[in-house]
Amino acid sequence: MELIILLLCGGLTIIASLLVIFTRNTVHSALWMVTSFFFMAVLYLLLRAEFIAILQIIVYAGAIMMFVIYAIMMLNLRQEEQGPVRKTKVVGVVLLLVLFLELMVVGVGRGLLAIKGPVTDQLMAKFGHVAVLSNFLFSDYVLPFELASILLTAGVVGAVVLAKQKSE
Amino acid sequence: MFDKVWLIPIFPIIGVLVNGLLGRRFEKINKSIIHWVACGAVALSFIVTCILFFQMLGLPADQRLYEFTWFKWINSGVLHSYVAYQIDPLSMMMCLFVTGVGFLIHVYSIGYMSTEEGREYRFFTYLNLFMFAMINLVLANNYLLLFLGWEGVGLCSYLLIGFWFSEEANAIAGKKAFITNRIGDFGFILGLLLLYTSLGKHGIWTLQFSEVFTHVHLLSPQVATAVCLLLFVGCTAKSAQIPLYVWLPDAMAGPTPVSALIHAATMVTSGVYMVARSNILYSMSPFAMGVVATFGALTALFAASIGLVQNDIKKVLAYSTVSQLGYMFLGLGVGAYAAGMFHVLTHAFFKALLFLGSGAVIHSMHQGLHKVHSHADAQDMRNMGGLKSKTPITYVTFLIGTLAIAGIPGFSGFFSKDEILWKAYSSPHGHFLLWLIGAIAAGMTAFYMFRLVFMTFFNESRVPDGADEHLHECPKTMTVPLMVLAFFAAVAGYLGVPHALGGSNRIHHFLDPVMGIGPGKLLHKAGGTIAHGAHAAAEAVHGAGMHHAAEHGSMFAEYLLMAISVTIALLGIFLAYTMYIKKRDIPEKLANSYPFLYRLLLNKWYVDELYELTVIKPLHGFSVLLWKGVDVAIIDGIINGVARIVGWFSGVVRYIQSGYVQSYAVSVVLGTVVLVIYYFIRAIS
Amino acid sequence: MVAYHNLYLALAVVLFTIGAIGAITRRNAIVVFMCIEIMLGAVNLAFITFSRANQSVEGIFMVMFIMAVAAAEAAVGLAIFVLMYRKRGTINVESLNLMKW
Repeated sequence: MELIILLLCGGLTIIASLLVIFTRNTVHSALWMVTSFFFMAVLYLLLRAEFIAILQIIVYAGAIMMFVIYAIMMLNLRQEEQGPVRKTKVVGVVLLLVLFLELMVVGVGRGLLAIKGPVTDQLMAKFGHVAVLSNFLFSDYVLPFELASILLTAGVVGAVVLAKQKSE
Repeated sequence: MFDKVWLIPIFPIIGVLVNGLLGRRFEKINKSIIHWVACGAVALSFIVTCILFFQMLGLPADQRLYEFTWFKWINSGVLHSYVAYQIDPLSMMMCLFVTGVGFLIHVYSIGYMSTEEGREYRFFTYLNLFMFAMINLVLANNYLLLFLGWEGVGLCSYLLIGFWFSEEANAIAGKKAFITNRIGDFGFILGLLLLYTSLGKHGIWTLQFSEVFTHVHLLSPQVATAVCLLLFVGCTAKSAQIPLYVWLPDAMAGPTPVSALIHAATMVTSGVYMVARSNILYSMSPFAMGVVATFGALTALFAASIGLVQNDIKKVLAYSTVSQLGYMFLGLGVGAYAAGMFHVLTHAFFKALLFLGSGAVIHSMHQGLHKVHSHADAQDMRNMGGLKSKTPITYVTFLIGTLAIAGIPGFSGFFSKDEILWKAYSSPHGHFLLWLIGAIAAGMTAFYMFRLVFMTFFNESRVPDGADEHLHECPKTMTVPLMVLAFFAAVAGYLGVPHALGGSNRIHHFLDPVMGIGPGKLLHKAGGTIAHGAHAAAEAVHGAGMHHAAEHGSMFAEYLLMAISVTIALLGIFLAYTMYIKKRDIPEKLANSYPFLYRLLLNKWYVDELYELTVIKPLHGFSVLLWKGVDVAIIDGIINGVARIVGWFSGVVRYIQSGYVQSYAVSVVLGTVVLVIYYFIRAIS
Repeated sequence: MVAYHNLYLALAVVLFTIGAIGAITRRNAIVVFMCIEIMLGAVNLAFITFSRANQSVEGIFMVMFIMAVAAAEAAVGLAIFVLMYRKRGTINVESLNLMKW
């Protein structure tokens, strides 16, 4: 069962991403992007990471894509400009295909590490995913947590300062 | 008091420091401070020299050698060199007249340079520096210290010749002197090195005179000859012999006291001193002695021939100096070392006198011409005449000097020149031809010197623009040294009256111990056992030459030669009298009938032009080739080429910077590909 | 239970490559940005997979922070795009070539 859903959702994600990069219309790209995020959330659910799935919907598909669409709207973009294909891009694409092959061979074919940690399915079933996560977040990983909040503040301030119109 | 000998060089160097550093201030306060400092320094050196000299005379003849080591100078491997002085008859004699005549010339310079506009302290500083170097040269007890003095006098010569350097011709003359001297010094250094290493092969690493001469018999004759010839190359430059004499006539561009001191009395005689000091070395190589004698004789004749037609009063005296130096070398070359040194002594007096006298004449002429704002040449004899009545003291002293140089009996030059000529004929190293050349040169000397006197002092005045009313005698500071020198020029000869004339030839016996002959061989004491070789040879030479001749009635030959030389001198004077007082159209008629010969002599046999063509131009061309071909093209080319390559390379590499973000991203991808490959390979191996 | 972790990883690689090709190929700055988000998403998937495979929580936290960073980056990046449009009138990344040699 899981396999079927995995293959289905995986394939749809891939198709959606391909459509993102191949669509000429910018707004259409953004919409296909949102679709892709939704399917990825499903994939997270399959992996028993419920919290992350919800975060994906709220943050990515919600907040970030909202940014993108606001920007497209403000800049009033429609079609993308055409132009000659540069040589560098061709080289880049070729290299990327090479990378793809490499990663398939190296990453996927070789197998995973066998060191197991403490978070087992039973633990998660007993406490719930969120409780387990927050237990670790606010004890071992509190410093990155705080730093992330500072980062977000900086991001907000930066965005406002950059995009502000100069006062007359 | 022998160990106070270091005082002699130290007074002049103190004078240099005081005058050199504070001179400018002295000029503003009171100029005579400079004079007192400079002359006082030399006077003090002279007094100390006198004291030491008389003290030395008090010792018996075979103990007159004292070496005083001041401090260690060079300490490097096998080379240990000391600043050390040697008190013996030869060095004391040289030091006496160097400081004595030097003192008189310092006093003379006060008056002569009084018309200088500022910078007078420079002159006296250089003069004192010269005295320091010369004293080191004559008092040195090893070749290295002698060479230090040798170079020092060369430097001072350059500084003083080009003293009025704002005139380009003077600066060029100074440069010419220095460079020509350097060429000679190159030979000198090679000789020193050869000597040092050759002795070193036998384990004797020293350049000290007493050590060298004790062991000089260890050298093979070829090495000794080579050393002597190389050292003589230095002498040809320093003492103005063929082929490196060309700087001396040009050096007349310097002030006259400089010409008197350096180019008449002291510096140019340092070559003669060096050969005399190395007499034991030279005696080992008859070939080198022959070379020295031949060069000396030829130089004497050659220079005298040029002096016959020169019109500049100082040039005549310059060529006369070259000629007289030739005599000295002639004497040394035939083995008559003491006779050569005797001529050095008498020449110092009468040549300094002649130069100072000419300086007085030029000074008077300058004053006179300046008064009438004339720009005529004050040094050209054709502008002079009739100065006998205007400047009597100068005339009388100058006449005494001329009589001395011409070799008139009774004056000093006669005794010294005659002894050299006699030895040139009679010594085993001598030859009839050498005597003949010397005699002819003596005749020419008498002729051109009296030509000078007649043109300058006699007849009616040819001074242009009516300046002759303004000519008068020079100040006391200039005339008193003239008188002192005239006295010595007259009587100094009596130190060396030869046996033939009933005298005891004091100076000869005085210098004997240094020359390694006679009953009191000085080096016997220094060396311990002296092997037979050179000493016996020298003894045989001198003994046979002098005593032999004296005892076996060849006195007749000596009298005959004496008479011949006096006759030749008188002939020269008579010829000059005829040509320049009686029938004064003869010189011009002669010049017109032999124009080629006249021009040749007037232009110094075109030697300078010859050197320019054969030596200087090729060297210059070679330097230009090295400059343009090697330095600019190759070396600069390599450097610039490297820079150009870097530039070319950057020009190629810069296309990576396209300013285009996505191509940067491609390079990131490339890096990633490489890294993954690397990790993969590491993981599987 | 059979674990399909390798499939998840393969999927992540594919998504990553797709995102990278898009980031290099497209000329519109906003589309490039979206492709970068695809790449980040692929990385997130890989992390979650590893976390599940190793029974640890580090992967999940990594993903959380990546998301936080992506949000901040989106805000600032889009502000820059707006600025760029104001200055140049275009949002073509090829127009930003002042650093060209």
